[in-house]
Amino acid sequence: MTGRDPSGGPTERFEPRLPPDEINVGPTHPLSELATLIAGIAVATLVVVGGGALLVDGVVAHVSPELEARIFGSLFEDETDASDVLHADTARDLLSSLLRHEPGRAQTLRLRVALDDDPNAFALPGGTVVVTSGLLEQVESRNELAFVLAHELGHFEGRHHLRGLGRMVMVHLTLLALVGASGGEALPTTIASLAERGFSRDQEREADAYALALLNLEYGHVGGADHFFRKLPDADAGFARHAAAYLSTHPVTESRIADLAEAARAHGYRVATDLEPL
Amino acid sequence: MDLAVQLGLEWGLPILLLVLAYFTGTAVERSHYRSIRVREARTRRMPTTTGRRVPTPWRVTDAGLVAGSVVISLDYFKRFLAGLRGLVGGRVKSYESLLDRARREALLRMKEQASERGFDAVVNVRLETSRLASSQRQGKGTAGVEILAFGTGLKRAS
Repeated sequence: MTGRDPSGGPTERFEPRLPPDEINVGPTHPLSELATLIAGIAVATLVVVGGGALLVDGVVAHVSPELEARIFGSLFEDETDASDVLHADTARDLLSSLLRHEPGRAQTLRLRVALDDDPNAFALPGGTVVVTSGLLEQVESRNELAFVLAHELGHFEGRHHLRGLGRMVMVHLTLLALVGASGGEALPTTIASLAERGFSRDQEREADAYALALLNLEYGHVGGADHFFRKLPDADAGFARHAAAYLSTHPVTESRIADLAEAARAHGYRVATDLEPL
Repeated sequence: MDLAVQLGLEWGLPILLLVLAYFTGTAVERSHYRSIRVREARTRRMPTTTGRRVPTPWRVTDAGLVAGSVVISLDYFKRFLAGLRGLVGGRVKSYESLLDRARREALLRMKEQASERGFDAVVNVRLETSRLASSQRQGKGTAGVEILAFGTGLKRAS
C-alpha cells in the first residue's frame, strides 16, 4: 500500500479499488430457488407418504376383525350409551338386519349412540359404529338410516378406519424423524395432509358404493339412499365449496349424490319411492 | 360463505404475506445496494485495512476508535426460503445477500465516521456479528442481525 521514497517523505502508492460487485451473493433468482425447493420437497413428501401408505395397507390386510376387536375393543367400553334416544332401537335392529348379509362380522360390530346435535356417523377401530342423536332425529325413513349404517359398514369392510389411523401415525412419525424441529416442517406437513385427504375422499366413495350394494341386497331397491346427503347444507354446492373440494376429507356432496345415481344406473338397481317408515 | 372465509384465512393470508414480503424485500434490497455502491465510490480514497501496523512512513498525529454498526432484519419471504433450506440443506442464498449488505454498510458507516472525525485511514479493522433473538419463538427465532465494524482511525501529518 505504501512505498518509501529516498527523501523519507511519503509516497502515495495506494490505489483505491472498488470491490468486485456481488462477489458474496449468488446469482440465483430467489423466485427460481423458491420454485425448485417447493417442487423438490413436494415430490419427496409424496414419495414418503405414498411409501408409508403402501406399508400400512400391507400391515392392515393382516389384521382380522377379531384381532382388531381385541386390540381396540377395550378403548371404547366405558363410553356412555344413550339407549333411550329416539330411534336408537330401530338403528340397532337395522344394523343386525344388515349384518345378516355379512355373517362373519356380526360378532365384532356394535352400535353406539352419541349425544350430539350434529348429524354424524363414524366407524371406530374395534368394531363400533357410532351414530349421533342428531342424525337419528333427522332421518325420515328406514332406508335412509340403513344407507348411513351400511356406509359405515363399508368403512369396516375396506378397513378404512385402521388404514387412516395407521397412515396418520406413519406420516407423523416419518416427518418427525426426517425433519425434526428445523422450522420448515410446514410445507411437508401441508402436502402430506392434502394427500391424506385425497385418500380419504376415495375411501368415502368406496364406502358409498358398498352401502348402495348392501341396501339393494336388504330391500331390493336403493330408494332413499341419497336422502341424507340432500339434507346436508352443501347439497347445492357453490363455487367456494367446489374450490375447497381438494382440501376436504369427503367428496363434494353434490357429486356424491350424482355418483350414487350413476352407480344405481350402472348396476341396474331399482330406485323405489315407497320407503319404510321408522 | 364461512368456508370461503376460512379458506381465505388459512391459505390466502400466508401466501399474500409472502408475495408482499417478496416485493417489499426486493425493493428495499435494491435501493440499499444502490446506496452502498454510491457511498463505496465516494469513500474509496480512505485506506481501510485489517493490518495492525501504522503504514510506514506515515507520521501519525492523532488516532482514535472508529466504529460503524447496522442492524438488518429478515423479511418474511427470506425467512420462509431459509426454512425450506433448513429441510434440504445447502447454501441459504436468501441470507447471503442480507449479510453482504450488512457487512458493507457497517464498513461504510465506520469509514464515514472516520472521515467526519478527520482521520485519513483506518487500520486494524475488525467485524463482529450478533444475532438478535426473536421474542416470538421463545428466543429461538431470528429477528435480525447486527454487524459492528470497528478499527483505529489515523490522522496523518500533512
